Amino acid sequence: MATITATPGLGTRSAEGAAIRAADLLRWSLDHKIIGLQYMVSSLFFFIVGGTMAMLIRWELLTPALDLMADGTQYNALMTIHGSVMIFLWIIPMMAGFGNYLVPLMLGAKDMAFPWLNAFAFWLIPPAGVLMIGGWLVGPPEAGWTAYPPLSTLFSPDGQTMWAMSLHLLGVSSILGAINFVVTIRNMRPEGMTLWKMPLFVWAVLATAIIQVLATPFLTGGLTLLILDRTAGTSFFDPGSGGDVLLWQNVFWFYSHPAVYIMILPGFGMVSEVLSVHARKPVFGYRAIGLSSMSIALVGFTVWAHHMFTSLQPALRIPFMITSMIIAVPTGIKIFSWLGTIWGGKIRFTSAMLFALGFITLFVFGGIGGIFLAAVPIDIHLHDTYFVVGHFHFVLFGGSVFLIFSGIYHWFPKVTGRRMNERLGQLHFVTTYIGTFFTFVPQHIAGALGLPRRVAMYDPQFTNINTVISLAAFLLGISSLFFIYNILRSLSHGERVGGNPWRALTLEWATTSPPPPWNFRGDPVPFDDPYGYGSDESVAYLDAVERRFPAPEESDGA
Amino acid sequence: MNPTNSSNSLMTVVWILVAFVLLVVGGLIIAEATPLVLPPAASAEAVQVDELFKILMALGGSIWLLVQGAVIYSVIRFRARPGDDSDGAAMHGNNTLEFVWTLIPSITVVILSIISFQVWVNITTAQDNPQVVEARGARFLWSFSYDIPGETQRVNSTVLHTWVGQPVVLHLETADVNHAFWVPSMRIKQDLLAGRRTEARFTPILAGEYPVVCAELCGSGHGDMHASIVVHEDEASFLDWFDDEAYIILNPPDDPVEGGELLMTAGGVAGLYACAGCHTLDALGWDAIVAPNLEGVADRAATRVPGMEVERYLLRSLFFPGEFLVPGYDNLMPQHQYQDPEEANYMPLDEALNIVAYLCTLSASGESACNVDMLPDMMTDMGMG
Repeated sequence: MATITATPGLGTRSAEGAAIRAADLLRWSLDHKIIGLQYMVSSLFFFIVGGTMAMLIRWELLTPALDLMADGTQYNALMTIHGSVMIFLWIIPMMAGFGNYLVPLMLGAKDMAFPWLNAFAFWLIPPAGVLMIGGWLVGPPEAGWTAYPPLSTLFSPDGQTMWAMSLHLLGVSSILGAINFVVTIRNMRPEGMTLWKMPLFVWAVLATAIIQVLATPFLTGGLTLLILDRTAGTSFFDPGSGGDVLLWQNVFWFYSHPAVYIMILPGFGMVSEVLSVHARKPVFGYRAIGLSSMSIALVGFTVWAHHMFTSLQPALRIPFMITSMIIAVPTGIKIFSWLGTIWGGKIRFTSAMLFALGFITLFVFGGIGGIFLAAVPIDIHLHDTYFVVGHFHFVLFGGSVFLIFSGIYHWFPKVTGRRMNERLGQLHFVTTYIGTFFTFVPQHIAGALGLPRRVAMYDPQFTNINTVISLAAFLLGISSLFFIYNILRSLSHGERVGGNPWRALTLEWATTSPPPPWNFRGDPVPFDDPYGYGSDESVAYLDAVERRFPAPEESDGA
Repeated sequence: MNPTNSSNSLMTVVWILVAFVLLVVGGLIIAEATPLVLPPAASAEAVQVDELFKILMALGGSIWLLVQGAVIYSVIRFRARPGDDSDGAAMHGNNTLEFVWTLIPSITVVILSIISFQVWVNITTAQDNPQVVEARGARFLWSFSYDIPGETQRVNSTVLHTWVGQPVVLHLETADVNHAFWVPSMRIKQDLLAGRRTEARFTPILAGEYPVVCAELCGSGHGDMHASIVVHEDEASFLDWFDDEAYIILNPPDDPVEGGELLMTAGGVAGLYACAGCHTLDALGWDAIVAPNLEGVADRAATRVPGMEVERYLLRSLFFPGEFLVPGYDNLMPQHQYQDPEEANYMPLDEALNIVAYLCTLSASGESACNVDMLPDMMTDMGMG
């Protein structure tokens, strides 16, 4: 039973029986579905912005000399904004969007626990985006997304201050959103849904929210000090006046390593849903997946200094190596559990499933690279090289972004009432997979051979490998166009669906597509096991859902 | 147990063994690629690091093959056949299996941690009788400085010289932002941290020349901030180089122009000036592009500020570089100080005088464009010296 009912609020609510319109997204709304879409659409916009920057970066790196950019500063600014946009304005808000849209639906609730807070958290993002991009006009930040002082304090121009203010707003947004998730998940589950019967996506959002509440204050605190150093004459990070440059590195990574899990855990939740539904088989080791999310969240707080193996005091490096190695265990449990999930299933090769399967094969490569980087003696060689660039793009692009794509193909019918085009989805998958593999595998090799990261000019011996990387990256750029086109086309031309086109057991499918303003008519009753595929009871339940929320008889103008 | 069941489980065991052997062999084959993805190992430390790298390649290769194999097998074997709308088996888990795939990775990471720790201890243990070199990072130049026994002057160089078998200890300091001293062939990397002194050590085992790379973002010229290490065959060969350099430093020329040239290539009392990190000057082999080209600077200096003499323009540019920015360039040059020898950018006035004298000869004709004798008076009326 929903013990907290959402207060009927002011502002736009999704209309009865109609998809949410573009104009609704520009208005103040307390509807978690609209807010979820606001997050997703704005982050898709920033994905295109950050992606365009990636293309410019790869264009510059086609040759060892500076050619596209006027000078190294311009390149550094581009690389700084690319990283910051992709992390803080694309992946994190996109995951928040999925959480906002899906969590209340999966819990059978009418809305999030705090709708006003929810809307406020979203509306911090547009000004943050303006500050981030606007920094370009006043002298762009050039210290990388990690913004190490003294480069970021004594050298970088005013855009760096705007960058810090932007991240500050995004940090606050993230904390507020996370508190909302914790309260919602804790209090608004329907009768009969214990913690151990929650969908794994909800588990993942809970683990993520706990990390966000505990870690993000360190980012905003650190940024406060950085802004003070830049504008108020303090010297927290200025050794010339008694400050310490390592203070920033510690505080920054104390947030930014857990942030890695903020970016991937919701995706882990999504892939558990997608694999189970499209392989028609219960999730293998449900408890192990839920618990591993929690242990990743916990252990994730103890590994931050592995980002500082070449600056940290040598005696402290080994303890952080051990904690970093440990985190491979819960991650391994997840991968094996997903393999167990598809093993013996009846796999449907939908676009959502292709991206989920592609994710497993890519993510394991990224994870193995992570072991190399955790081992101190090897990290000393690989630190701050293209190996690291390849590694984190493997887990962020091959990981988070593949899962975002998978999630969009999977839940698009719920949000819009229409399916995305499967042919285009396959084209998108094949080009994205090839592009990802041939962009980021050679980056590992280039780094190990001696190419440092964040360089606009490089040793000519790396020309050939950089050409391969750039060409593959251009393919990746093109593949994203197929995706955007598919979304736009499917909005009006996609095949109409009923409430539950994939025959899935979680609650978001036990309502119309798109759901009504308050999500459900009456209190929905969850199926006892959210992944109980293969049983007669589940077939009966799914048949009943299909009868209640059938697909439209004729297609109108499809 | 009936016969069919036992032959089934026997087959399962056989298949698991076959798969295991294939994975191990596959991992070992992948590990053979190690030398292809690493530069030649030129230090004793590199040899040990590469051994560890190879172990991880074998292990990682096996895991990678295992997961790819499982996915490929599944998508072929367990694909839904056309017309089959049924569900898969209602299998929720298997405690034994889950226990095994938690235990094996746990043991593996413990073993890996122990091996890595051993390698770490080996490569960081201090060696006897090291050669101590002071290394400095300044945007965007590396410089290396050696003691001359019994003298106050030092040998400064943009190339780190040492010899085979000699343990080297580097004391690393930065003049400005953080840098990272990386020698890919030696597998060593250590950040230079503003306000701290850090240390790196290695023992070269192969003669040759190896690149030094800056691995920590330090600004616009970061990608161009490189140097090299020359590993001589033996100490005698090293001393040939060192003694020549020391002789030049200990016997500076009297002529201010030659003295200026020496200051710009071999440094002064405050160490090596980082001019080469940003400027181009063919005569000295400089090719950086962050700052204005110094080729012909004496001619341009005459026209930059109407009414200002060449020597005054050049002198002011050394101490107040932001005053006359060349269009298209940012104000990145360190502001030299002439009063306090403890300052990071200390440049005594007599050295400045020689440097200006040298810069004045960078004209199309090759003749000095200045009246160098005017310089001391000029300094006085700028309030200097």
